[in-house]
Amino acid sequence: MANQLLEVKGLAVSYGDVHALWDVSLQVEEEAIVALVGANGAGKTTILKTISGLVRARKGEILFEGKPLNHLRPQEIVDMGITHVPEGRRLFASLTVLENLKIGAYIPRARPFFAESLERVYSLFPVLQNRKNQRAGTLSGGEQQMLAIARAIMARPKLIMLDEPSLGLSPILVKTIFQLIATLNEQKARILLVEQNVNQALKIAHHAYVLKTGKVVMSGRGEDLLANEEIRKAYIGGMAVKRKK
Amino acid sequence: MEIVIQALVNGILFGTMYGTAAIGLSLIFGTMRIVFIAQGSIIIFFSYLCFWLFTLLGIDPYLSIIPIVLVALLLGVAFYYGLFKESAALQDRISSLLIAVGVMFVAENFMTVAWTPNPRAVVTTYGFYTVRLFGIHTTLTRLIALGIAILATTGVFLFLRKTLIGTAVRACSEDSEASSLMGISPHRVNAVAFAIGTGLAGIAGINFATTYSFDPNYGFDIAIKALIALTLGGIGNVGGALLGGIIIGVIESMASYYVGMGWAQGILFVIFILTLTLRPYGLFGKISQKA
Repeated sequence: MANQLLEVKGLAVSYGDVHALWDVSLQVEEEAIVALVGANGAGKTTILKTISGLVRARKGEILFEGKPLNHLRPQEIVDMGITHVPEGRRLFASLTVLENLKIGAYIPRARPFFAESLERVYSLFPVLQNRKNQRAGTLSGGEQQMLAIARAIMARPKLIMLDEPSLGLSPILVKTIFQLIATLNEQKARILLVEQNVNQALKIAHHAYVLKTGKVVMSGRGEDLLANEEIRKAYIGGMAVKRKK
Repeated sequence: MEIVIQALVNGILFGTMYGTAAIGLSLIFGTMRIVFIAQGSIIIFFSYLCFWLFTLLGIDPYLSIIPIVLVALLLGVAFYYGLFKESAALQDRISSLLIAVGVMFVAENFMTVAWTPNPRAVVTTYGFYTVRLFGIHTTLTRLIALGIAILATTGVFLFLRKTLIGTAVRACSEDSEASSLMGISPHRVNAVAFAIGTGLAGIAGINFATTYSFDPNYGFDIAIKALIALTLGGIGNVGGALLGGIIIGVIESMASYYVGMGWAQGILFVIFILTLTLRPYGLFGKISQKA
């Protein structure tokens, strides 16, 4: 168990009287892509928000490289090496692409490496270099998602948390984004991925957790879950489509 | 015709002062969602400070820019950490507005006690020099005030564009939660925005002191006009706020000339209400699209 990057133990979160998470435990190992899948409202986004410090846990523990995160503020958690790409991208629309990337490298730990990170980001996403002086709000959906991921890379994180990166993108772009996630992982970035596109997510994930109404109901290797009949029925619907034909 | 142009020019000169006040309000509202209604009284407070430095210590008003702006920047930081930090964190607009109203009353009463409610003015030897440019008469001090206001605005604009912390201020006004995910401490950014806001109040205070006479109750009037200017310019738009201020100044000056001083205020409020109903995002603003 020495190579755990992130460890969540017995996490419980509630919004007022509504319980969003009940006793969730999960791990991200070194060098892994871990996916959280499940239906809308299962608590996937809440897990990411709690890890990044936007939401406070009622119970439980979050350890990153063995250090507890529970009482840190979001900006301190970024500094420790976790960057959260929130749902809906949340770019700064009135800032240019380059300014968004500068803000991505805001933390003192990342600032000295700005030029180096920028070069890396531009080689991953050449389109961003062409559009560096354009306002982020004028980019297309796919470009915005690339910028959101690029902005996260600028902080030189050890773990990137992606919330629904494929949301609202065309099938071709979805493929591109997933390829990119795999590439990032090959380049030593560890990824915690929340996705409604269960099929794609399980394909690239080394390990995955299935959530249902705030609880982990199943977990295992991505490919094993992908082969699981129950999962296919509930989230992918592959069988149902085949029967119709 | 000449008198119309004269009124127009006076309006522009006066309007830049509302404009500088409005930029401060815009930054403070943009980052913290605080309607800093005390801005006008703080401006007058700095006018008094300028008056004091001049009459007691004989410091020239333009030389007093340095100490006054320094004090103003520190005051902004103190206001933020001392009074507004909690309500800004909760985005609680009602309590922050009440605190701002409180600051305004304290400032007004403090000034009344310290300097009496009688009007004061900074009377310098060069205050009476008039300048004739393209057939228009104006005083030297008004022209200098215009220059200072433009310089200060340009400075703030460049700060927001060219520095990392300035860019962070803009990012934070757009989405403070996403900014915190980038590692930006909202308190630091808020304190910077507040300091710039009061720093601009310091500049406006000196401009006011050198061009007009003032008394402690003037502040509220300036704050209201700065708020109207802000609405015209669109929130979070530095150039727009300055332009909004100039429009207010010109309308006020022209209305006083054509229909009388009493009507000028009324006309301003009609414009304020019309802007809020018809173009709530300002005359020059676009509805900012969410990325």
